[in-house]
Amino acid sequence: MSIVKIRNLTKRYSGKTVVDHISFEVEKGEIFGILGPNGAGKTTTLEMIEAIRPIDDGIATVNGINVAKNPQKVRYLIGVQPQSPAFQDKSKIKEILVMFAAAYGEKIDSKIFLEDVDLTEKADAYVEQLSGGQMQRLSIAASLVHSPQVFFMDEPTTGLDPQARRHLWNLVRTIQAKGVTVILTTHYMEEAEMLCSRVAIMDNGKIVAIDKPKNLIKKLLATGFKKEHQVEQANLEDVFIDLTGKHLRE
Amino acid sequence: MKKSFYTIITFARLNTKRYFRDRLAIFFTVVFPLIFLVIFGSLFHNTSNVSFKVALINQSSSPYSQQIVAQANKTKVLKIDPKVQTLSSAKEKMKRSELDATLVLPQDFGSVRNGIPNGQLTVYYNQNNQQAASTLASILQDQFNVVNTQFVKISTPFTVVTKSTNQSSLTQFDYTFSGLLGFSVLALGIFGPVNVFPELKKQGILRRLHTTPLRVWQYFTSNVLSQSVIGLFSIAIMFSVSVLVFHLHMKGSYISLAIFAILSIFTIYGIGLAIGGWAKNERQAAPLGNLISFPLMFLSGTFFPRYLMPEWLQGMTNYLPLTPVIDGFRLIVTEGKSLFALGPQLGLMAIWAVVIYFIAFRIFRWE
Repeated sequence: MSIVKIRNLTKRYSGKTVVDHISFEVEKGEIFGILGPNGAGKTTTLEMIEAIRPIDDGIATVNGINVAKNPQKVRYLIGVQPQSPAFQDKSKIKEILVMFAAAYGEKIDSKIFLEDVDLTEKADAYVEQLSGGQMQRLSIAASLVHSPQVFFMDEPTTGLDPQARRHLWNLVRTIQAKGVTVILTTHYMEEAEMLCSRVAIMDNGKIVAIDKPKNLIKKLLATGFKKEHQVEQANLEDVFIDLTGKHLRE
Repeated sequence: MKKSFYTIITFARLNTKRYFRDRLAIFFTVVFPLIFLVIFGSLFHNTSNVSFKVALINQSSSPYSQQIVAQANKTKVLKIDPKVQTLSSAKEKMKRSELDATLVLPQDFGSVRNGIPNGQLTVYYNQNNQQAASTLASILQDQFNVVNTQFVKISTPFTVVTKSTNQSSLTQFDYTFSGLLGFSVLALGIFGPVNVFPELKKQGILRRLHTTPLRVWQYFTSNVLSQSVIGLFSIAIMFSVSVLVFHLHMKGSYISLAIFAILSIFTIYGIGLAIGGWAKNERQAAPLGNLISFPLMFLSGTFFPRYLMPEWLQGMTNYLPLTPVIDGFRLIVTEGKSLFALGPQLGLMAIWAVVIYFIAFRIFRWE
């Protein structure tokens, strides 16, 4: 069953078409990746589905609700993790969660949500005292306080060290295990390969391919593609993790 | 509805907490107006005592002249510069406006003619100090008249007597204080949001809130609430300092004042919300904020009372949004008026509030 349906979605900025009649569907409970170089239109696509960017043409629906016609209803169904999360200075971590829940009219116990993202000890710290990875986790917790059905993550691991990245992947899988559909954008192919059940590859505002990562690789190999060098069984990142361990650094 | 209420109260509560943790914000909203208060307070504190800076040059050696010098040293009206001994050095100082006038007792002052001592005191002054000199001359003449009647008994048919009617009349400070309250509302209502909102937009904090169901009116309301709490705190501090240090005469009720202060903050904060809510960045917000707040600051009577302005300007500035705020504060503080007597002020503020918030809602942008 598709929870997000996109038909001919289009966005133009002063005559230039940045998202050009794209269509795709996201299945309930999957982790769906949108890949593409900078300026491909990934963020704009997400922002249109998130109801914060007007849709110029086409239709987007979340759980059957038309985003353009009923943005307020859609907001209750989705959680949004922006590219570079920021919160107002002098806010305590637990207050951020209480505030976000209040935006949905809900009262919460911040402890439960902080536990989910390993920030229990930081409950009384100010946001400006957090590291990059902690900020990402706080931001994820803040996006999930109202138990959304669809969770959007825009480049969630950009700028994180390998340890924090691995930790975040596990977190995304836990979120998926709770039945939340995840739609994320990324620049890291390895990340997409490990996390996503399906990916869409965008370029110049268009979707150039959409399938399971394994199928996409098979298709390429079927054309007779060969890498110049023999692929090793390990890469430099494996070496790095072997030497520095998997535990999180702050 | 209940959920909406919880949303607003939570945002307002956290806003207020954040403010009291932020020293820079406290500086701009509390300390900054307080600095003005202390400056103006010290300037106007002693204005009931007029005094002149003068040089006194005594060229006579008669007992009468000695007596006058001793007397002059005692009066509060004259502040005598002890360093000046010659007329030429006195003239030098008058040129630099360090002295208002120079009093000279000539050599023959106090010489006795027909059994009665005689003498003429000369007041030297610069052209631009004519008013001070004539005031000074009439004060001295008065004092001499008292002395004269001891020598020559005359009855004066017509006299003028001055009597003070009201011991607790308004001091200049009482007047200025309501202007300064207006300034603190202006600082809180415009300078604050004009600085804060562009920053929130730059960091994407507002855009993120936009992905939640939070409505603009809920966001505005919570901000108005927290700003009112902060405003009352700031005004309470200004009041304490004014009453304790500058002996402010508060005539009205503190409840009227608090309610009026909240309505004022509501009205003026709308201007800040409109500017900060509209501007995409500080390059748009700062000039527009200055363009609106500076005329308000100087034309609504924050630092100088509006009665000093020419009449045509008073007529125009009557209708500025900050004018009824300052007038209302003054009527409560110095005239003891209740809220019900402030109909014209509250009416004008209500009209402005409708206009301002209509615009603010229209032009608000989350990013």
